[in-house]
Amino acid sequence: MSQKTPAVVVDQVSKWYDQVIGINDVSLAIDGGVTGVLGPNGAGKSTLFKLLMGRIKPSQGSVRLFGEDPWVNPSPYRRIGYVSESERMYDWMTALDFVSTLARLHGMTREEAIDRAEHVLDFVGLSDVMNKEIGKYSKGMRQRVKIAHALVHDPDLIILDEPLHGCDPIARTSIMSVIRELGSQGKTVLVSSHILEEIERITEQIVILNEGRLLALGNLHAIRGLLDKHPHRILLTCENPRELARKFIAEKPVYGVRFPNEGQLEIQTNDLSAAHAILPRIISESGVPVEAIDNPDDNLEALLGYLIGGA
Amino acid sequence: MDEKGKSLAESVWTRMDRKAGAITELTIRQLRHRVSTWVVLSVGALVMILLLAFYIDGIREEFDPIDNDGDSNDWDNDGYPEGQEYKYGTSDWNGDEFPGSGYYISTGEIDWNDNNRIHSGNHTWEGTGLFDAEWIDTEYSGSRWSGIVDWNDVETCPEGEPTVDWWIDWGSACLYDDGSYFVSGKFRASGTVNAPENYYIEWGYYTDETDIEPEAPSTYIDEDGILWDGEDVSELYVASDCRIGTYDSQTVYFCDGFEVDDDGDCLIDPNDDNNNGIPCDVVWVLDSDKNEIVDIRPDNNVNEDAAESEFEGEMGHRTFIIGTGKMAFVMMLGIFIPLFLALGLIRDETENGTLHYLLSKPIHRAEFILYRLLGYLLLAGTYILVLVLIMAFVTSLIAPGDSIVRLSDYPVWLGVGFATILVLAAYGALYNTIGLIAPKYGVYFCIILGIWEFIMGLFTMTLPSATVPMLSVSHWALQLIDSVVLIAWPDTLQYTQISSAFGVESGLPFFWQPPVHTLGTQSPVVALLVSCSVLVMITLLMMAIGQSSFKNREIM
Amino acid sequence: MKKLPEDLDIEGTKTRMEVAYGAGDGDEDAKAIVAKSEAHIGTLFEQTYRPWDGELGPRWVRNYAIFRHHVYGLFKGSGHRHYHPMVRLAIFVILLYSLLPVLMLFLASLSSDSFMNDTFSRLWGINRYNLWGQVLGYFPRNLCCWPMLTALVVGGMISDDRKFGTSAIYFSRPVTRTDYTVMKYVSVAVVLGFVIVLSYFVYYTSAIVFNGEGWAYLVDTLPMFLGGLIAGILVVITYTSIGLALSSISQSRFFAAIAFLGVIYGTKLLALLIDSQFDSSILYVLSPYDSLAHIGQWLLGIEPNYDHPLAFSVVSMLLYNAASVGLLTYRVGSLEVTRE
Repeated sequence: MSQKTPAVVVDQVSKWYDQVIGINDVSLAIDGGVTGVLGPNGAGKSTLFKLLMGRIKPSQGSVRLFGEDPWVNPSPYRRIGYVSESERMYDWMTALDFVSTLARLHGMTREEAIDRAEHVLDFVGLSDVMNKEIGKYSKGMRQRVKIAHALVHDPDLIILDEPLHGCDPIARTSIMSVIRELGSQGKTVLVSSHILEEIERITEQIVILNEGRLLALGNLHAIRGLLDKHPHRILLTCENPRELARKFIAEKPVYGVRFPNEGQLEIQTNDLSAAHAILPRIISESGVPVEAIDNPDDNLEALLGYLIGGA
Repeated sequence: MDEKGKSLAESVWTRMDRKAGAITELTIRQLRHRVSTWVVLSVGALVMILLLAFYIDGIREEFDPIDNDGDSNDWDNDGYPEGQEYKYGTSDWNGDEFPGSGYYISTGEIDWNDNNRIHSGNHTWEGTGLFDAEWIDTEYSGSRWSGIVDWNDVETCPEGEPTVDWWIDWGSACLYDDGSYFVSGKFRASGTVNAPENYYIEWGYYTDETDIEPEAPSTYIDEDGILWDGEDVSELYVASDCRIGTYDSQTVYFCDGFEVDDDGDCLIDPNDDNNNGIPCDVVWVLDSDKNEIVDIRPDNNVNEDAAESEFEGEMGHRTFIIGTGKMAFVMMLGIFIPLFLALGLIRDETENGTLHYLLSKPIHRAEFILYRLLGYLLLAGTYILVLVLIMAFVTSLIAPGDSIVRLSDYPVWLGVGFATILVLAAYGALYNTIGLIAPKYGVYFCIILGIWEFIMGLFTMTLPSATVPMLSVSHWALQLIDSVVLIAWPDTLQYTQISSAFGVESGLPFFWQPPVHTLGTQSPVVALLVSCSVLVMITLLMMAIGQSSFKNREIM
Repeated sequence: MKKLPEDLDIEGTKTRMEVAYGAGDGDEDAKAIVAKSEAHIGTLFEQTYRPWDGELGPRWVRNYAIFRHHVYGLFKGSGHRHYHPMVRLAIFVILLYSLLPVLMLFLASLSSDSFMNDTFSRLWGINRYNLWGQVLGYFPRNLCCWPMLTALVVGGMISDDRKFGTSAIYFSRPVTRTDYTVMKYVSVAVVLGFVIVLSYFVYYTSAIVFNGEGWAYLVDTLPMFLGGLIAGILVVITYTSIGLALSSISQSRFFAAIAFLGVIYGTKLLALLIDSQFDSSILYVLSPYDSLAHIGQWLLGIEPNYDHPLAFSVVSMLLYNAASVGLLTYRVGSLEVTRE
């Protein structure tokens, strides 16, 4: 179980279906901690995961999990847990049945499997309902069962494809905490989502995919920092925006202001962190009551907009 | 895993074993949770119950012996069966002639051109003439056939010359004024007859009656039985006089004079239809090993009323087992169960997206197919075995025969079960592979394939040696059953020959014919091995194709 | 009759269903969303619904659209119910096969050789047995052609709607469940009839045309022809009933198709098994094919192959139809407009 090779290595991988390109020349190496894979729908997140899981064969390049090619050899699955985006499950099974049956596919005995299944179901917070049929579960519970099945053999690498999809806020919160917990246990976790805010609450380490291309890789804030040369906006909702605007326009990081709506002030800056640094001082000096501070650019769409525009 | 402190000694095999167990169990549980599985299985069981009901009903009738030559019938209603009348030489269409009855002996006649046309006496008469009666037996009823003169209804004769100017019906008389009669027909009387020119009359008397007990009609059923008991063919060789000859360019033994004309109806007028120089016998043609009947050639009227009830029960029983095995098990259950249960083994998982859970486990895809099929086979195979054993048990209890339980049936029933399970495996692998290779077209292809197999099965039953049915799975399974039958009941061949040679009605020749694929050895064991290996090879080949297709399948 | 409006989009992107139900017809200028007042948290949308007040087409037009949707799909690729190319091919092959006697009659009419003519007309010419065989012959028509045809056509008819929830297409429109069932039934029956009855008709007509027969022949053979026609229609109706009933209780087209084959073959095989062993033809009443064949033999005046009375077969056929239609209406009546 050498940890020298990274858990996930994707080397110049492309995958196309006939004329459609799913993944275009992506290279990645991921090891340790939670990594968010971000991208709008159709960006290639699921394709990337399916390549990792050996479901599909790369058209070009190579995929290695713990140094092995998953298309040829299913042995790395011993150390991987995978939560697919598929919604369907064996609805007639109880959660305990489901997880323990799948655990037995790792070569556990029946008793071991049941033992482990109870353990992971407890971990995802389903221990009190684990003897109910999955068909009676809510969506959030089903997602957690899927996560439980991926964790049952204590894997080193966990791949979750849209685990928060379609869950209500409470389920989201609990699933997020499960993922954070896994990351803190030192496991490599890959989570995909098309919603930045979700990923932000789990991890800061992200991979951004768009139209099959790798757009960015690294810390979320670092990425954003890299974008400093692009203008950012800060939106203030206040009673007297013109008063406040006068104060801001004098500051160095701010190069322009705008009044998009009544009672709103938009500050345009080249250096977001510097702008944020001066923000509290100026507001308190001006004495203008501010209702809300917003970063309209702090979402995936804006980020992508900049990344694509800057490319 | 290792950190979890699992035993390092745990071999790869035990792990594989557990995986196999888990997938097999999952497959069975999945199948169990589908309504269609239960519908199909219970329909199958229902079919078997229906068959058993008919079987029990059929066996209980005890196979009424059939009177092939009809000589147990009493055609003339005189209380004596035809056979008995035949033996005594009395007429079987004249109710007044029967064994022991007096019969008519002619003592004289006036021919149409005799010169002397007058005769007197007390006789029984038959003919036409003027009759001057001394005494008339008005009660005479000598024959049930027409022509008895009705003396109670005599009219006056018309004017003119009889037979020239007028005529009376056969069986009537008319009265002249002088008290003499003109008579035409049969009558008993004393007097003088004057026969007209060109007419005929004869007279005679009836012998005395003796009392002969009528025999029961059943005596004349099966009265010319087949002497061979159907057990060992070489008995025939020992019991009779055999000579070497050729038949169909094969060296064979012609065994003459073995059968006897028990009821003697051939010996009355002996014939030698089979041209062996011995009248009224049966030639049994045995093959060069003296263990198989090649042909049976009876002389006419020998074995014409074969004792088939000795064979009928046994043959009906065997026909039932073979027919049920072939049609109900192989062709109905064997073709339809895999269509319902096996096609979706992997295809359904792909369609539902549940395959991801299974494939994200450290299992090779080829292994996965194998275990899935195993799970399906375990469920379907157990079902078949249970059905077969129930059928075997019930039929062996009520079957004809001396022993309470016919143990000799069990190998055949197990053979049927074995053939069906091989068929289930072959079809399962086949349909599963088709479902894998062509997820969209496969369904339609499987439907067409099912129909093809069905038709080929029917063809194999009627023409086992045809070439085209060899391209089907059902052909080999039916051949397998044929071989097992011949191994377990070596005399089945003789039964089919007896049934055709003596005209014993039986479905056996329709349901069973000797296996074809013996590679020239005529040995059923070889045929069994050939059929088994073909079925196993089809299964393995299909699994290999399915595995290689699945291995390179990209799963969305 | 109402004239269709000129601007009706017949060949455009909309399906004929949409055209028939007026979707898009007059809806283009309807405005639906108006953002009005702003709430503290977000925007409250006030929606104004404008009910469609166009004139609903007559019921038969709507139903005809359902019918067309199913039947045209056999010939056209898009805009109608999708028939798999394999299914279309199979139906085409079966149709060609059932027209084989026509070809034979044509060949016979070309040849002047009397022996040929004689043989051909005995084998394929019009007589009671051949007319019966054209629709009810066991091999290969009722052993593979008709059941396969029915299985392929009927398989997905209702089961697909259950599986994919596409029944919503109908039930979200002014279509009653009765309309839905009847039109599905008629569609299947027409497709089957297209092959079974039409080929029978073509066979009879072509025999007359190729042999140059006159009115007298027509008058003589017409009763026979009508008997066979009724038999053919009975086959279509019975197979459609059983097939649709099976389709309505299953969720996959495959199950329906296989179950249909199972019913037809299983009962036949079982009855054959019992008949050949125990000399009792009574179980043939379980087999829809044999009941139909028995009735057909009576209709055409052929000696029946069956020992049991005709009434049994008639009752069996009626029961099969009644039970199937009953099951069908019950299942459609309780069909949930959702993906099951």
